[in-house]
Amino acid sequence: MTKTTFTYANTAREMEVYGYDSMIKSHCRMCHGGCGVLVYLKDGKVAKIAGDPDCPINHGTLCSKGIGSLQLVYHPDRLTHPVKRKGPKGSGKWQQISWDEALDTIAEKILNYKESFGAESIVMGYGTGRENEAAIYRFANLLGTPNVLTAGHFCYGPRLATTIITCGSNPIVDYENHPKCIMVWGNNLVISNPDCYKGEPFSRALDAGAKLIAVDPRRTRIAARANVWLPLRPGSDTALALGMLNVIINEVLYDKDFVENHVHGWASFVERVNEYPLSRVEQITWVTKEKIREAAVLFATTKPAAIQWGVAIEQQINCADNNRALLALMGITGNIDARGGQVLFRPPKIKNVGQFGAHKMLSKEQAEKRLGGNRFRLAGNFAIINPKCVWDAILDESPYPVKMLFLISSNPVITRANARQVYRALEKTEFMVVSDFFLTPTAELADLVLPAATWLEMDYIGDFWKRHGYILPRRKVVQVGKCRSDHEMLNDLAHRVGQGQHWWETFEGGLDYILEPMGITWQEFKAMEYIRGELTYEKHKEHGFSTPTRKFELYSTLLEKWGYDPLPQFREPPESPYSTPELFKEHPYILITGRRQPGFFHSENRQLPWLRELHRDPIVEIHPETAEKEGIEEGDWVIIESLRGKVRQRAKLFAGMDPRIVSAEHGWWFPEKKDPLHGWDESNINILTDNAYETCDPAMGATNVRTLLCKIYPENREGDR
Amino acid sequence: MKKYALIIDHISCWGCKTCEVACKQENNAPEGVKLIDVFEGGLKTVDDKTDVIFQSNVCIHCDEPACVDSCPEQAIAQRDDGIVVLDEKTCTGCRLCMDACPYHAISFDTQKDVAKKCNLCHHRVDNGLIPACADNVCLAHCIYFGDPDAIQRQINEKHIRRNPVKNKEL
Repeated sequence: MTKTTFTYANTAREMEVYGYDSMIKSHCRMCHGGCGVLVYLKDGKVAKIAGDPDCPINHGTLCSKGIGSLQLVYHPDRLTHPVKRKGPKGSGKWQQISWDEALDTIAEKILNYKESFGAESIVMGYGTGRENEAAIYRFANLLGTPNVLTAGHFCYGPRLATTIITCGSNPIVDYENHPKCIMVWGNNLVISNPDCYKGEPFSRALDAGAKLIAVDPRRTRIAARANVWLPLRPGSDTALALGMLNVIINEVLYDKDFVENHVHGWASFVERVNEYPLSRVEQITWVTKEKIREAAVLFATTKPAAIQWGVAIEQQINCADNNRALLALMGITGNIDARGGQVLFRPPKIKNVGQFGAHKMLSKEQAEKRLGGNRFRLAGNFAIINPKCVWDAILDESPYPVKMLFLISSNPVITRANARQVYRALEKTEFMVVSDFFLTPTAELADLVLPAATWLEMDYIGDFWKRHGYILPRRKVVQVGKCRSDHEMLNDLAHRVGQGQHWWETFEGGLDYILEPMGITWQEFKAMEYIRGELTYEKHKEHGFSTPTRKFELYSTLLEKWGYDPLPQFREPPESPYSTPELFKEHPYILITGRRQPGFFHSENRQLPWLRELHRDPIVEIHPETAEKEGIEEGDWVIIESLRGKVRQRAKLFAGMDPRIVSAEHGWWFPEKKDPLHGWDESNINILTDNAYETCDPAMGATNVRTLLCKIYPENREGDR
Repeated sequence: MKKYALIIDHISCWGCKTCEVACKQENNAPEGVKLIDVFEGGLKTVDDKTDVIFQSNVCIHCDEPACVDSCPEQAIAQRDDGIVVLDEKTCTGCRLCMDACPYHAISFDTQKDVAKKCNLCHHRVDNGLIPACADNVCLAHCIYFGDPDAIQRQINEKHIRRNPVKNKEL
């Protein structure tokens, strides 16, 4: 037998053997991040998707969602032309219309509402998925509405806001230079959808011998592999971080040069940290003093070290302080902007999302009308709003009426807290437009639905708004039906509402505009693999940090100015065994939500066969002891109930967490169910979550969807109760 | 002698299941039929800790494959390079191979009424291409294809790097 030499991603051979017509490199956007991909085409259709070995983000690897895009693009249920509703909301009766009719109708409504109720009565919104953020902000700001409803209050927005006020930008783990210790905090980056870098460089860092610390209430696979696992009580992250800081400060394990020369507010910070001795922190967090100390010492004495943090810590009442306490850990250990630590990467010299978003075009007068802007002032300063402010404005017309919702890649009846209130608000909304791939439960409540293009159907500058310092071309590969990218759609609509002079003939002009400072056009960028910004470390030694004091602000002068505690503090979750002991008697379990599953991205992908096959049903994890106590067996459908309502998920017995914790999945609806609302409230965990203002992070307005109290019992016992 | 093997370093597997979908994309197995199946395994001691690790069920192309002998239609054959190939066209759906396989690595396609298993993407291997699941899709880099001895050496080296003290005897 002759010896064959095999090489990874052998494109030339793939083309030859399978007879593909072409291969186009692009940039996936099936999640919050992006990976380089190879898209093989045959007869004008996508035939195979693989990872791009030359991409510095994923190095040729991919995830199930990326490959599964093939089934998204050509899904039989996909919306491929604009539709308008014929029957009442939620009746599922739709009529096909032309793009011109759709956009003219929307333009007319926008102009009428603006004239009669002010531009603020129109709320634009987006979810997480299609990198359309900057275009939507641009449209809204030019229209004059300060109200852009996003996930930014409790996802990534807090990371941007808290890092900017603390050290000028978001520090990203420098996997390229091999961290020797990685602390993964509330993140399951190997199967979820992390920002910037994905699981691949993380895996390689571990294979190279990096020490691993995991902070997670559940024994994830990452926690299982960790040198130290801290299974904290859900919602106690700030206390745990302050406890670790206490060890690092009192055992003098911090970086003295950094603390002496580059931080603001050291003395007050130390005073605050000393309010959290390990004996107190152990009581709050349920993690032993010894474990906390072990992790703190390992993290502080291994150089370089980095924290890989996830969204779990942001969807809590302590959102901003969780982030700020973790930033303090990165900072005082000397890992900020250190090679192999966490770096304030510089993006290429392009017009950034802030400039493209045209925030300066929004008048001060209109900006002051931002819903909840006076209540959640950290969020307000970053043009982010708390969703309840919008629902209240629709339902109670307070402080002013919201008449129109324009939701682009967003499914809030599934993904926002207190889903019943969201539903009532959408039901009452006078005019609502949705742009999406499918008629989702949210879209079913709209007046008009626009067919959105997937990442395979658009040109864009991938990772335009990320902080790893790269931009990568997303190249249009195919056209499906009459689908249009959100960017092209808004560019067209902009001309119809009189803001055409700030837009372009086609959106390619917008891409040229972003790239202009680099002296290149989209067509030139499209011919490149990627562009990386200038790579520099320890910039603070020369320039300080981009904060009011030019220091790393352990003590935030901006939070102080906005009327908040300038130092991180731990607040007990709004519902917990300690804050609501009476409720805990009736609802004796701590419910955590949002455990990630391969294949799904929030409420997306449940109609894609390859991905649904990975995970058929909504699963709630219950400790075997708890299951026995409640008469629940593996695979039973069970009812999870909170003060707000109840839903059903299927039980899986899982011993890798405290028996007092129950862990449910989020994002569930059932595209296969033929009723128009597709079982939106059957297993949707946000039926159970709360969105009352006092349960949200006071500065960021983050809704606490991660930690609440529940009861749980077998479905067939429901009648007895 | 075995020329090719598909070996999965289960200790490194994160359970992301990308390999399953890469296999679907290549082999287009119908819903419910998995030629490679990743699932949570039982308890195992790894680096002195009790741990649940992911396991995968995929044909291991045994040296003496029981399925070959069990098939009355001779639809399953082992090639000289060790790859065990099930030919769907010859299969009559009697399911005897499924009973014979000690690893339960053979599935059944109820639509076509035939047995299905991983043929180690022999249609790719014969054309100089790596099997779909092993073609660098795995973000943990834990799926290996090639010479079995060389792979085992690579895996051992990786484990020593990861934990020099505990794994030095490997």
